[in-house]
Amino acid sequence: MTAEAGTAPSTPTGSLLTGSIPDPDVLVRARGITKRFGGLTAVNDVDFDIPRGSIVSLIGPNGAGKTTFFNMITGYYVPTDGEISFDGAAIVTRRGKRIRSKKPHEVTQLGIGRTFQNIRLFGTMSALDNVRVGSHVHLRSRWWDSIIRTPRMLNEEAASIEASMELLRLVDLEDRAETWARNLPYGDQRRLEIARALATRPKLLLLDEPTAGMNISETRQLTDFIRRLRAEHGLTILLIEHDMRVVMGISDRVTVLDYGEVIAEGAPDEVRANPRVIEAYLGRGPATAS
Amino acid sequence: MSTATSSIGTGPGAWLGYVGSNAAALPGRYATALRRRPGRTIGLTLVVLAVAVYPVLGHYVLADFSRTVFPLPFPDDTVATFMTIFAIMAIGLNIVAGFAGLLDLGYVAFYAIGAYCAAFLASPHFGALGINLTFMGHVGPGAAGIHLPYWLIAIIAVIVVATFGALLGAPTLRLRGDYLAIVTLGFGEIVPLYFKNLSSVTFSLNLGPINIALQNVNWTGGVQGINPIDPPFLPFFGLVFDARSGPLAVYLGLFLLMIAIVVALNLEHSRIGRAWGAIREDETAAEMMGVNTVRTKLLAFALGASFAGVAGSFQASYLGASTSDFFDFSISILVLIMVILGGIGNVWGAVLGAFALTYVDKTLLPYIGQRIGDVAPTLPNPAEYNFLIFGIILVVMMRFRPQGFLPSRQREAELSVAGLAEAEAGLGLPAALENVEIAPPGQDEVSADARTPETPGEAREL
Repeated sequence: MTAEAGTAPSTPTGSLLTGSIPDPDVLVRARGITKRFGGLTAVNDVDFDIPRGSIVSLIGPNGAGKTTFFNMITGYYVPTDGEISFDGAAIVTRRGKRIRSKKPHEVTQLGIGRTFQNIRLFGTMSALDNVRVGSHVHLRSRWWDSIIRTPRMLNEEAASIEASMELLRLVDLEDRAETWARNLPYGDQRRLEIARALATRPKLLLLDEPTAGMNISETRQLTDFIRRLRAEHGLTILLIEHDMRVVMGISDRVTVLDYGEVIAEGAPDEVRANPRVIEAYLGRGPATAS
Repeated sequence: MSTATSSIGTGPGAWLGYVGSNAAALPGRYATALRRRPGRTIGLTLVVLAVAVYPVLGHYVLADFSRTVFPLPFPDDTVATFMTIFAIMAIGLNIVAGFAGLLDLGYVAFYAIGAYCAAFLASPHFGALGINLTFMGHVGPGAAGIHLPYWLIAIIAVIVVATFGALLGAPTLRLRGDYLAIVTLGFGEIVPLYFKNLSSVTFSLNLGPINIALQNVNWTGGVQGINPIDPPFLPFFGLVFDARSGPLAVYLGLFLLMIAIVVALNLEHSRIGRAWGAIREDETAAEMMGVNTVRTKLLAFALGASFAGVAGSFQASYLGASTSDFFDFSISILVLIMVILGGIGNVWGAVLGAFALTYVDKTLLPYIGQRIGDVAPTLPNPAEYNFLIFGIILVVMMRFRPQGFLPSRQREAELSVAGLAEAEAGLGLPAALENVEIAPPGQDEVSADARTPETPGEAREL
C-alpha cells in the first residue's frame, strides 16, 4: 500500500513474483513500471498497489500516462521495464533484461475487466451479444459443438443468455437487449460497456473515465452504481477520472500521476491538500511564474 | 431464441428436443419475419423453392418452357452443378471475409488443394509409382493407383485444406487489412503454380537410415493434370454422380450445399460466431474482452478454407479431371465478387450471388454470344469478355446497392442512407441537445443523442 512517489527503486533481486505467497490484502502489485515510446517516457518507474476490495483512483493532467498505465495492466502494452502481479499471478515479469507480458485475453481470463475512454462497443451487435462476447472466456463450447449444436453447447448458450440478461438488468438495460449497441444513447453505451466488462467476471474492474460526458445526475447514479459493485459483488475498482467530485467522493485512495511519475498518493483529503498536486493541475504560483 | 433454448435439459434427448422446439416455432417465426421484411422473405422463399424443385422441374418442364416461351435460357445440369460448387465456396469465403472481416484474395488455392486431394486419392495416377490401394472404390479390386470412395475423400479434403488454411494463417494473421490481402494473394498464385510445375520431381535425401531418392516423378500431372478421377458413387443404389448423370449430380451438389449452409449458419450463431463479429467490429476491444484473436482468426481461416476443400474435391470428382488451368487467380476474384454481390456477411446472400454469377457466366453470356453470332458473326462474343461484364456489374452494384442483394443487417446499416444520416447526426448535432432523446426505444430508430461517442473515421486510441 506504500507507493512512495516513484522514489523507491525496484530491486530486480528478491522478485515478488517467484514463488511468493499471494498477499491477501494486495490484488495488484506493480513495481518499477516504465514505458517509453521512442524518446517519450510515458510512465516512469511507477510503483503501485491496489488493495483488495478498494476503490482506487488514478488522476493527473492530460498526458500524464494514466491510460498507458491501464494498458500495461491489461497486457495491451508491454512495459519497457518493471513487474506486475495480479492476485498471485504474474502479468508482467522480468527475466534479466527481457520483459514478458501476458496477452490481453490471458489477462482478461485472470480476472481483469475494463472499459474504454472512448467507448469501444461492438456497434452492430445487439446489447445482449455485446455482453455475451464478454462472457466468451467462460464458455467452453468449441467450434465443433457449434456446428452440430451439441446439448452441451445449447445449455451453455442458454445459461449465458440468462447470465447476460442478468447483467443487463443490473445496468438497467434489459429492455434494450436487442438494440444495436451503436443505436443506444451515450449514457446507455457507457453502462453497457460496464456490463460487458462485468461479463468477464472480473476481480478487478478498470474504468477509464466512466463519467466523461455525463451530467450531474447521471454521474451521481454511476457513482452509486460503482459503490454497489464493490459492496454487492466484492469487486476491486481502479478508476481513471477527471471529475474531482467523483474521485474525492468514492475513492479509498488516490494516486496522482504527472509526466508519468507518481507525485502524490494517499487518502483523498491528503491528496487534495498536497501542494505538488495543486501545482500539477494549476501550474506554479505567480512568484515563480514571473 | 432465448425462450427456445432455455428449456433444454441435459441428456441425449436434448438435441432432438431443441430441433423439435425450433421446428414447432418455425411457422410463427416465419410469420414474424414476413411481417418485418415481406419482400425479402418472399424472395428468399422463392429462391429456396426454386432450388428445391429445379432438378426435376428444370429437366422436364422449364427447359422446354425457356426454349419456347421464356426469353432467357435455362441452366443445364452441368451449370447447375457448378452453381452449387461455387455457392459452397462463396459460403466459405463469406466466413472469412464476411463474418471475421479478413480479406482473403487467395481462396482459389484451397479450391485447388481440394481438387487435387480427389485427384490423388481416386485416380490411376499413382499407379505409375507402384502405389496401388483400392478401398470401396468405384473400380474393381486390383486397379492401378489409389481409389478411395468420394465420401471419404471429401472428409480428407476438408481436413487437408483446413490444415493448409491454418498453415497459411499462422504466420500471416498477425497482419491486418491490406497486408493480409497481399499475402493471401501470393498464396493463391503459388499453389496452382505448384500443381502446374510438379510434373517432374527429382529429389534425393540421405539422412543415415532415411534414404529417399526420386527421379523424374510425375507428382501432379503437370499441365495435363490428372484424369480420369473416379466419380462420387453410392454403392447400394448403384448411383454414379458424374458429368453424364444429369440431375443426379445437381442433387448431390445441393446436398453438399445444404450441409454447408447449415454449418455456416450454426457457426454464425455461436460463441465463435460472436467472437468473429467482435473481431470484425473492433479487434482491440475483442482482445480486451478475452477473445484470443489470433486463434479465432485462424479458426475462421481454416474453417472457411475447408468449404473450398469440399467444393474442390466435388468438382474434380464430378468432372473426372483436375487440371491446373482451372485454378486461375480469377476464381478467387470471382468468388469474392459473388460474396459481395450477394451481400457480404450473409450466408443466403453468398448463395444467391454464387447462383446468379455462375448463371450469367456459364449460361447467359454464351447464350447471348450465340445469338449475336447468329446475327452478326464479326461482333465480339460477350462470353470472352465475362470479366469485363462482371466488372461493370460490380461497379453498377456499388453505385446503386453497395450492400448486395441480400445484405446482412450489419452491412446494410453501414452502407445504407440511414447509416449515413446517423453518422452525420453524430458529427453535426450541437451540444445543446444533450440528454434529449428524440427517438423512442427501438431497433430501427437512429438515436438522436447528441453525444454520440465518436464520429466514424475518427482516429481512435484507447
